[in-house]
Amino acid sequence: MTTADAIPQIDTDALPMGDSRDQAWRATQVAPLIAIADGYAVTTRRGAEAVLKHPDPFSSAKAFDMLQSPVPLVPIAYDPPTQTRYRHILQPFFSPRVIKPMEAELRRQVSALIDPIARRGHCDFVGEVAQIFPIQAFLTFFGLPLEMRDQFWGWKNAVIGLTGAGFAAESDAAQEGIKKALEMYTYFTELIPQRRGAGGDDVLSQILAKQPPDDLTDPEAVGLCFLFVLAGLDTVTDTLGCGMQRLAECPDKRQEIIDDPALIPAAVEELVRLDPPAPFIPRVTSADAEIESVRLPPETRVSTYLGAANRDPAVFENPHDIDFHRPENPHISFGMGPHRCLGSHLARLELGILYEEWHKRIPHYRIKPGTTPKVHWPRGTVGLESLHLEFDKAEE
Amino acid sequence: MKLRIDGATCTGHGLCYSVAPHLIEDDEQGYGHVFGDGVIPDNQLAEARAAVANCPEKAISFIDD
Repeated sequence: MTTADAIPQIDTDALPMGDSRDQAWRATQVAPLIAIADGYAVTTRRGAEAVLKHPDPFSSAKAFDMLQSPVPLVPIAYDPPTQTRYRHILQPFFSPRVIKPMEAELRRQVSALIDPIARRGHCDFVGEVAQIFPIQAFLTFFGLPLEMRDQFWGWKNAVIGLTGAGFAAESDAAQEGIKKALEMYTYFTELIPQRRGAGGDDVLSQILAKQPPDDLTDPEAVGLCFLFVLAGLDTVTDTLGCGMQRLAECPDKRQEIIDDPALIPAAVEELVRLDPPAPFIPRVTSADAEIESVRLPPETRVSTYLGAANRDPAVFENPHDIDFHRPENPHISFGMGPHRCLGSHLARLELGILYEEWHKRIPHYRIKPGTTPKVHWPRGTVGLESLHLEFDKAEE
Repeated sequence: MKLRIDGATCTGHGLCYSVAPHLIEDDEQGYGHVFGDGVIPDNQLAEARAAVANCPEKAISFIDD
């Protein structure tokens, strides 16, 4: 039995995530189990499996308390069997064969977004593409008007901003955030009864048309909408920004997907492997637990560091290298076990479309001299603040 | 040689039917299922190996006939 004081301590907030994500993840790989500010973290693939595939005792029920959400976060903050029921209801709406018909419309939207940028010759990829497209995809998926894009942008930022300060905070900024979060809450609370029984062909209407015992209550449906906004927008933004930075910095890798667009699905997987956007998966032990021969009491916070597990040398050859030809890439950026990312197929579709359409129009680009893409750090997610790109203007 | 997907371990990542479309299909929940009895034709061994190797849950395995 390892004693707790033999476990290396890592100050996650002090990692060089802002400038060098590769170096930051490497710095966490000092031991399979590390001590962090509020508990422990596993850093290997084996550790990730031990935690994420075993909701008992590594529970999700209390793991998201820090978000202080005013609505039930369906389904991430639940354990089986409640979570199993939610997954069974929701999963068909997020499966590849159901998502696929959206492809043409999403491709059209991406083209409309990129064409003016191609003619201009420069952009902030994060602000003008990576932040915009996932919101549009969400609106399309839920059958909401694209004109609500900026509205949702403001609401999302307010809700995510509050997850740091908490809904109980009293500062002016927090009060403003609470006001906007309540606006979004009110919007969904009014939308859901309208969509229930209306027979729409959008995903939200179809989820609400489910009959007992597969029906969701209004609060459950509001929680699902909140979770989609919290989990489905910034994650795609962040992985797109980080992925494009790597492609901009590695012209030889970029040339591979320009020469052979069939390589893009593999590139999507590899870029997501290196930069999981939500790389710290929280759990709280519901009973005595043991990890790497360390005994953990109940109520211990155990995080899984996906960026480290995805660079486990026991699973990945040259784990810190970017390689679009890996014969095996069983990364866990979308998690694993019962809580595997529900939106992974939609995310993959969005990422694939974006990389394809962008490189058709703008194959050659560089990071604007004098600018340095930086990850906003410390924070619970990993994404760039901006990514200024330059390229030759497309013909009018 | 046959290919087998353990339904209790599969969580629907969906990589298997992308890398091995001749051997595995998706269902309406997004889970993978082997075609027929799972027998792997000689010319599709590479696909089968890719499916096994890329499954994040290690839910796919080879079994003897």
